[in-house]
Amino acid sequence: MKRRGFLGLAAGGLTIAIALPGCSLLPVLPRRPLPTAEDAMSWLRHEQGRYTLYLPRAEMGQNMLTALKQVACEELGVAWAGVQVRMPDTRSIRRVKATVGSDSIREFALPLAQACATLRDALALGQTQGLLAAEPRPVESLRSFAGRGRHVGRSAPLEQGPAIVCGAPLYAADVRLPGMVYGRVLRAPVSPELASRVKTLREDAARAVPGFVALLRDPGLRLGGSEGVGIVARTPGALARIEAALAIEWQVEGGFEAADVEALINVNTRLAKGALAHRLRDDAAGAQTPWDIDLLLQVPLAAHGALEPRAAVAQWSQPEGLLRLWVGSQDIFYQRDAVARQLGLDETQVSVQACRIGGAFGARMLCTVEMEAAVLARRLGGAVKVQWSRAQELQQGFHRPPSQHRIRARLHEGRVQQWWHAFATSHILFTNAAMPRWMQTVSSFVGDAGAARNAQLPYRVPQQRIEFDLARLPVFTGPWRGLGAGPNAFAVETAWDLLADKAGADPLAFRLAHIDDPRLSAVLGQAARLSRWGHVLPGAAGRLRARGLACGIYKGLSYAATVAEVEVDASSGEWRVLGLSCVHDCGHIINPDQVRAQCEGNLVWGLAMVLSDGLPVGSSAVAAASFAEAPIPRLPQVPPLAVELIDSTQAPTGAGETAMVCAAAAIANALAAATGCRVTRLPVLAGDMLAAMQAQATTRL
Amino acid sequence: MELQINGQRHQVAAIWQDEPLLFVLREALGLVGAKLGCGLGQCGACTVLVDGEARRSCLLRPQDVLGAQITTIEGLSRDGEALHPVQQAWLDERVPQCGYCQAGQIMSAVALLRRQPRPGDADIDAALAGNLCRCGTQQRIRQAVHRAAQGAQP
Repeated sequence: MKRRGFLGLAAGGLTIAIALPGCSLLPVLPRRPLPTAEDAMSWLRHEQGRYTLYLPRAEMGQNMLTALKQVACEELGVAWAGVQVRMPDTRSIRRVKATVGSDSIREFALPLAQACATLRDALALGQTQGLLAAEPRPVESLRSFAGRGRHVGRSAPLEQGPAIVCGAPLYAADVRLPGMVYGRVLRAPVSPELASRVKTLREDAARAVPGFVALLRDPGLRLGGSEGVGIVARTPGALARIEAALAIEWQVEGGFEAADVEALINVNTRLAKGALAHRLRDDAAGAQTPWDIDLLLQVPLAAHGALEPRAAVAQWSQPEGLLRLWVGSQDIFYQRDAVARQLGLDETQVSVQACRIGGAFGARMLCTVEMEAAVLARRLGGAVKVQWSRAQELQQGFHRPPSQHRIRARLHEGRVQQWWHAFATSHILFTNAAMPRWMQTVSSFVGDAGAARNAQLPYRVPQQRIEFDLARLPVFTGPWRGLGAGPNAFAVETAWDLLADKAGADPLAFRLAHIDDPRLSAVLGQAARLSRWGHVLPGAAGRLRARGLACGIYKGLSYAATVAEVEVDASSGEWRVLGLSCVHDCGHIINPDQVRAQCEGNLVWGLAMVLSDGLPVGSSAVAAASFAEAPIPRLPQVPPLAVELIDSTQAPTGAGETAMVCAAAAIANALAAATGCRVTRLPVLAGDMLAAMQAQATTRL
Repeated sequence: MELQINGQRHQVAAIWQDEPLLFVLREALGLVGAKLGCGLGQCGACTVLVDGEARRSCLLRPQDVLGAQITTIEGLSRDGEALHPVQQAWLDERVPQCGYCQAGQIMSAVALLRRQPRPGDADIDAALAGNLCRCGTQQRIRQAVHRAAQGAQP
């Protein structure tokens, strides 16, 4: 092992603030270059009549392998079997930005098409060797942007589909290497935002456990404020026995309970102190007449709940001086940079192979299990696999931040005249899981575009005040499908429904009357027709049935409207969704089947937001260790989903998060329509629903 | 120790004999189709068939299945042969998004169709309620089970 590597490790530890000059204090930051046609040339190879496309995106269920292969086949003018798509490593393609924000088709399809067109034309001219310089070409000249073609605009077989249904190795945890051992990093059973370290441990007892390989304490195993203790065993099952034998006692600084988190995001407390720190709209305050609506909505901390607990395999090869990593990450280049920095290696000494991800939803942005595997492999000088437990996912990962929304609005002649939305939440892009407090403070000048996402109205309102505060919480928060769009759009669309009610208007007509964007009106109108909006639902004794709707524009780019039909048991408050209809417009569609699949996914996520998403907090930690405390929807809870797509020649936008702007609110609005009362805290538990109905009945008496 | 997996005998080395069956399959024998999702039998990603019944391999030990016929997703069809009707239905309906839960979903569906060749929606919902999916493929799972059931009819 190189001496320099050890020094690098030590420098990453506790004494860093004193020992090193300022520049090294900066965490490794992900870089976000926009892809060009020139970059895209590095994604393509042509050899002996065969084309290979290295996927410049993470594959995490959006089936981007399939969609970008469609673009390549269309542009190259070859059959489906003519292109082989491969997952990249950091050495096979130029740096690309993280796979986030539904950007893959919007930003990568065009440069890929341009590169493929360059290659096609060069081959037609007889050039079969050497490197090509890409030519940016106008969209009009590209086959894959000219509506439906031989591959584009059609359903396609899922790339890796046969491997998935046959159980072939695809994911990071499926990697097996000769001599590979199994690692785990133990931490104090508290939020990693708190400082914690080992007080005592029983090393001799651990060494006596059959299968024990190593106990490693290394500054590189730190996560947030928590010291990590690495254990390595010959089998994964032995790790739990070693952990038990070690009997670590931890020293923890500070602590918190659920009420402390709630207090930090209490929007009314913050409003009482004056204006909030970040303003998206700051129109003059209106007349001092009473508000027509004044609503407080609460959205809890929530887990990503991907089925795959994150995993990584790392292998240090001494003769080559090379660390190889297999990861399921949204940004393999960030993994490389972070690991190289921590281990004191040059970036050419770290090679990161992308594997299919078993669900990401924003959770796979940071270097966590990858760093653990890399540090253990480097120290042991061999191959190590680390896969987090479900409990680690919940207690050491970051989550959707909780938020509180106070929305006040006034009507004038049936139209919304004044709108005031104030909310308090925590950081998403400037996540506390990666950023020290001082850096978040610096970032506070620019706010947090993730937390603000979709807080802007898709409706015409003359006077608007939209403001928010960000509070660093004692639990890790960060990107979650759609970032702030899920909670913010839920709040906006809930309030909008209430305003329609106050105005005595139909929610559909009321929305249409405030919309200027014809594409939004179009999806809304079509969703209403698809769901037979206004058509009377059959009733049943004791069962309240109704529809609700919501709509929105994700990132100002993609359009969706959803209608939900629900049924509530009047005696128990138990409720279920009977059907969800969604109309979606993301411009030019490469693969309608997979746009539909993403839309279905977002509908189920919207259902989850209302049904069950919510993480308990207590005793200085996320108080959930399994799916029992952090449930996700089960098959019987998922209703029939009807999805219609608007295809067009507009530039392709994105589908991965779009319907997050309307699915949850449509369901909540349907529950309110069915019962005549609104539960203002997510998730909507049967007990809360019943209590709200009983309170309303009492008021009527 | 010897296990019967996918119609073949597999020796289990001594150090693996106290491990969960899931780890024996994945790490010792290289049958990585069954996945770790929770380790507690709550998610179904590790589902395999034990004498035709869907079981959670994360909760079983090798000694629990001595003498039993174990089928993993790798054993549903052989290389070069046609896919099992359930596997084919999963491709035809393009069910997988991330794909991580799907081996478990497929094994639960195979077990269901074995005891109930023409299930209704409620039967499917009941049989697969313990197989979680976060991507939102539930509707396609239902459709794929129906398709497999129809395809299996003469």
